[in-house]
Amino acid sequence: MMLALEMFRSLPRTVAGKAVGSRLPGILSGYAAPLRLVTIDAPVVDRPGWARLKTRLSGICGSDLGMLSGQTSLYFSALVSLPFVPGHEVVAELLEDCEDLPAGTRVVVDPVLTCAARGVEPCDGCAAGATNRCSRITVGDVSAGLQTGFCHDTGGGWGQQLTAHRSQLHVVPEGYSDEQAILIEPMACAVHTALRAGVRPGDRVLVSGAGSVGLFATFALRELTGAGEIIVVAKHGHQRELALALGATEVVAPREVLRRVRRSTGAFQLKPEFSSPYLLGGVDVAVDAVGSKQSLETALQATRAGGRVVLSGMPAPADLSAAWFRELEIVGTYASAHADDAFAKATELVAHDAVTQLSKSVASYPLHRWREALDHAHSTGRLGTVKVAFDPRSTQ
Amino acid sequence: MSGFLKGTVDDVRTVSRGWRWGRRSMVPRSAEEYVLPARSTVFPSDWSRKRPAIAAREVAQKGGLEPLFRSQVRTRVEGLDVLDRIDGPVIFAANHASHLDTPLILLSLPDEWRRRTAVAAAADYFFDTWWRAVGSSLLFNTFPIDRRGGAMATTPGEVLADGWSLVIFPEGTRSQDGWMGKFRMGAAFLAHEYDVPVIPVAHRGTFAAMPRGAGWPNPGRRQLTIRFGEPLRPAEGESVRDFAPRIKDAVARLLDEDATTWWESRQRASAGTTPDPSGPQVAAWRRVWAQTESPQVAEEPSGRRLAAWRR
Amino acid sequence: MSRPGFVLEVDDRTPPLVVHEGLGFRLESFPLGTRVVYPPESLPTVPDVDEAIREALLHPVDAEPLPSLLFSGMRLTIAFDDLSLPLPSMKSPDIRGRIIEHVLTLAAEAGVDDVEIVAANALHRRMTAGELKHIVGERVFRSFFPQGQLYNFDAEDRDNLAHLGTTEQGEDIEISKRAAESDLLVYVNVNLVAMDGGHKSVGIGLASYKSLRHHHNPQTMVHSRSFMDHKKSAMHHSAWRIGRIIKDTVKVFQIETTLDNNVFGKPYDFLMKREWEWSVRDQASMLAMKRGLSVAPQKLRHKLFHDLRAPYGLTGISAGEVEAVHEQTLERVHRQQLVEVQGQSDVLVLGVPYLGPYNVNSSMNPILATCMGLGYYFNSYRHQPVVRKGGAVILYHPLNEGFNQLHHPSYVDFYEEVLAESTDPAVISAKYEKQFAEDEWYRHLYRTSHAYHGVHPFYMWYWAAHAMDHVDEVIWVGADRKVASRLGFRAATTLQDALEMASGTVGSSPSITYLHNPPHLLADVR
Repeated sequence: MMLALEMFRSLPRTVAGKAVGSRLPGILSGYAAPLRLVTIDAPVVDRPGWARLKTRLSGICGSDLGMLSGQTSLYFSALVSLPFVPGHEVVAELLEDCEDLPAGTRVVVDPVLTCAARGVEPCDGCAAGATNRCSRITVGDVSAGLQTGFCHDTGGGWGQQLTAHRSQLHVVPEGYSDEQAILIEPMACAVHTALRAGVRPGDRVLVSGAGSVGLFATFALRELTGAGEIIVVAKHGHQRELALALGATEVVAPREVLRRVRRSTGAFQLKPEFSSPYLLGGVDVAVDAVGSKQSLETALQATRAGGRVVLSGMPAPADLSAAWFRELEIVGTYASAHADDAFAKATELVAHDAVTQLSKSVASYPLHRWREALDHAHSTGRLGTVKVAFDPRSTQ
Repeated sequence: MSGFLKGTVDDVRTVSRGWRWGRRSMVPRSAEEYVLPARSTVFPSDWSRKRPAIAAREVAQKGGLEPLFRSQVRTRVEGLDVLDRIDGPVIFAANHASHLDTPLILLSLPDEWRRRTAVAAAADYFFDTWWRAVGSSLLFNTFPIDRRGGAMATTPGEVLADGWSLVIFPEGTRSQDGWMGKFRMGAAFLAHEYDVPVIPVAHRGTFAAMPRGAGWPNPGRRQLTIRFGEPLRPAEGESVRDFAPRIKDAVARLLDEDATTWWESRQRASAGTTPDPSGPQVAAWRRVWAQTESPQVAEEPSGRRLAAWRR
Repeated sequence: MSRPGFVLEVDDRTPPLVVHEGLGFRLESFPLGTRVVYPPESLPTVPDVDEAIREALLHPVDAEPLPSLLFSGMRLTIAFDDLSLPLPSMKSPDIRGRIIEHVLTLAAEAGVDDVEIVAANALHRRMTAGELKHIVGERVFRSFFPQGQLYNFDAEDRDNLAHLGTTEQGEDIEISKRAAESDLLVYVNVNLVAMDGGHKSVGIGLASYKSLRHHHNPQTMVHSRSFMDHKKSAMHHSAWRIGRIIKDTVKVFQIETTLDNNVFGKPYDFLMKREWEWSVRDQASMLAMKRGLSVAPQKLRHKLFHDLRAPYGLTGISAGEVEAVHEQTLERVHRQQLVEVQGQSDVLVLGVPYLGPYNVNSSMNPILATCMGLGYYFNSYRHQPVVRKGGAVILYHPLNEGFNQLHHPSYVDFYEEVLAESTDPAVISAKYEKQFAEDEWYRHLYRTSHAYHGVHPFYMWYWAAHAMDHVDEVIWVGADRKVASRLGFRAATTLQDALEMASGTVGSSPSITYLHNPPHLLADVR
């Protein structure tokens, strides 16, 4: 038996969350979240390559919050198996040997449940190494679930134990703190984002959002691509400092962004009737690292004709006129692919001073204080933390 | 809303302090040389001689001023018989030593005279703020005259022409030490111009009771005396310049009479030895000392006291 | 009768004094001993304006009478000062319109057909038709505007600019082609303050960025001491060099007018009176206005103030040769505005009002407020600044009006991008000026919309360069703290706080001088 936070099916809570979740996250963490602290059997998958892990630290991701507040599209409802234990950013240690890894090894989990983990023949995506594009994520040895943390059978990071397949495990090198290691998974996504952005040397890049996704994307773009100017949109003062430390050329407030992009690119600004202004001209690549309507539209409005808009956050519905009229390439970027060697690169990146520094601000909570933790995670931008995590080992 | 009210209170307070509401406005010292020659900001007083104001004044004088006045001072009034012999309007020309002078004169007059008597008051003192103007007009029936000789909204001539008697203090200001000062020509001029008689009025004891600078009569119901004299008219062909000294002499003689007797004062007047009303040329303190003594009222022959005039 | 200006020394008899602060004013009790400089009262005005105009045109200074300069078949261009003058805009009829009517009457008599009327707005925003009409009057507007012969000067219209060469110091002279190629250029000016007019009229009003950049820059502005005194102003020296060359190319007939100090009409005239002379009615008007403003929403306050039209009167008009005319003009301006002040002080206090030259019918954004306070008002001196070197300036303005997107698009970027990086005029000028000046979008908005030129906010900042160089401390009373710090200054709630903050620079009992402005004044500091 183990202690875990469990996401369950609750129509009233989901509806309530949808109604007020984005505005009043307090209500969400208090009453409306379809989440509960339960004692359940530890998950076991009795298949080759699977092993049990003891969670050391598990992050709260923006997609988790979206899911809990019912903001996530119902599109994803077919890709999960309720009830499940959330948590896909996981640092854990093996409770038993797993193929070549001895028990006690500290690992981070690549949460994507690919063909290899499911014990089925590799699909086209997996065969090509694009594991994040796996098309068998609902079948095989474990129940449906796009990732660990959305799947009933595997368990997730927000419980004391979970199971994972050998293909998902990446050993954390000696000398890395747990707080550093917890940033490897989001950083791996950022690496993937940076590679997907198709930045050519000297390109101007706009990163809309300075939460963990935006900050890591900025860092990955700076480190892995030849991007010239990187303009980061940040709401809060401390995000500004972080963004600059992580490689942004300029940091602007959301209401300034269009004007700033216009100024630095010499674009023309137009103001259509009854809606927000946009540019003719603009940056070469825009990364939406928030997923809100406003953020996505900003990215669309500030990108030059023929430029690329990268969807790094889970996108909300937005006006796509610019994508059509300006012939924008809209590129999704989801999780990370084996072929990118994203986890290896990310492990290197989190060793950088700037990120090490950032890892010191990771706030961890025991499971029973989950309401507090969610509340905190909702206001990370304002409070100056980048990552909030659960530490299921801790009791207070 | 409460913020607005508080702001309003603050602003009004700032302005009332800064602009000295109810007091005379002040000019910063360094700005004095740039002040425009004062356009008189004298408040009109015509209304105070209209019927409603007369009625209000009657109530104020009879119900408020008189009881208050009597409670603070004792008076002895002499010579009112002259008023029986003439018709108004007249000019009462009196010496001036105190703010008590005006109520003393007014309250000494018979009611029918009092109701038709106006008091000339310095425009620059009594008419520079609205409340002072209204207060003094209502209580004392004052109207403004300019001590420096400027044009006024209402001229004394118009007041006289309307049939009002005037109280004028020809000294123009209250005495510094209780002794009489120089008389100006105003009263004589008006009498000459409008052909009205001048009734000299002499009173004593007001300086002792409430000198310049005091805000209230001294305690102890001080004695005041007032004496009305024979009406004076300019003689045929007599100039203002000649007439004015006669008024002063008459007041001086009345003062002498008030202090001694009618007979003695007449004798001294004939001999030209009426005491100088401006007092002896001695040290200032002695002049003040002499005047701080209230007049002694001896027990009088009862025949002289007319019940009708008793106050 | 008009009394001269004078310096008041605040004593225990002094009532609180009016200090303007944007869309409002406050009553401030200054510390005892504070010197307050009051401008002279309005001079007597010209009894018959039409007669005075006729007289000036027929008997000009150092020039032939205007009728003898007009002939059939000539090209005549009339240029006039734009809506940045006078402040506030004057009640109809505007004096410029009346003069232009007289000039046109003479031109019609002489049979001149080719006439164009140009607003000399340089890099200022294009005026709307309504604004043009207010200045030139209905008759002129109707006769010229629909035909396109009454228009705003366009300093970015390359085809219609003429390069007249360079001065001996290498300054480019590029002005309106039409003006340069005219047989006669008549310039109609309103000389509100001492910096206006003279060679500044044509040489700056009808010039392009290429020409303006030679004198509108931090180096020149720091050496213009002050720009209200053209003999000691490096900017004017440059304009004079340019003007003398223009004079060789095109015949200029300069008409300059001066106004009295009648800035506020009834019932707001108490704002021009000396406070201790306020009547009860003035006090009541003031209280009513102050309380009204305190509850009025910003938009309403903006409307209330910006709808005011000044009942200015004409104190004089001179016409003829530029420099001779300007000599006379300055004499009149000085008579109206000059106040002698003995010695400098540690602290200078200035109330920044709702209006400056560049926010007519627009909003006083933080940059314009800075320009108004540290630019125009600080420089309202002759001989030496009112405040000593290393002293402090205390300004009143809430700095909360925000930016007008229509009129000041480049200001927003200047504020958000440039000032965030540096507030040093020299640094700003070197790094950003060219980018802004050549930004296509700003150009486009300047030419087709009603936007100030992209480089204009830089000029505003340069205007304040001399003040920033001269004083050590700038504190805004009642200002938004965030905005003040973006501008590189500090904010205080009250004058007492501000003096406390400044005590590190000027000590705990500094000498203070407050310029009681508006109406306009020019401190002659001995």
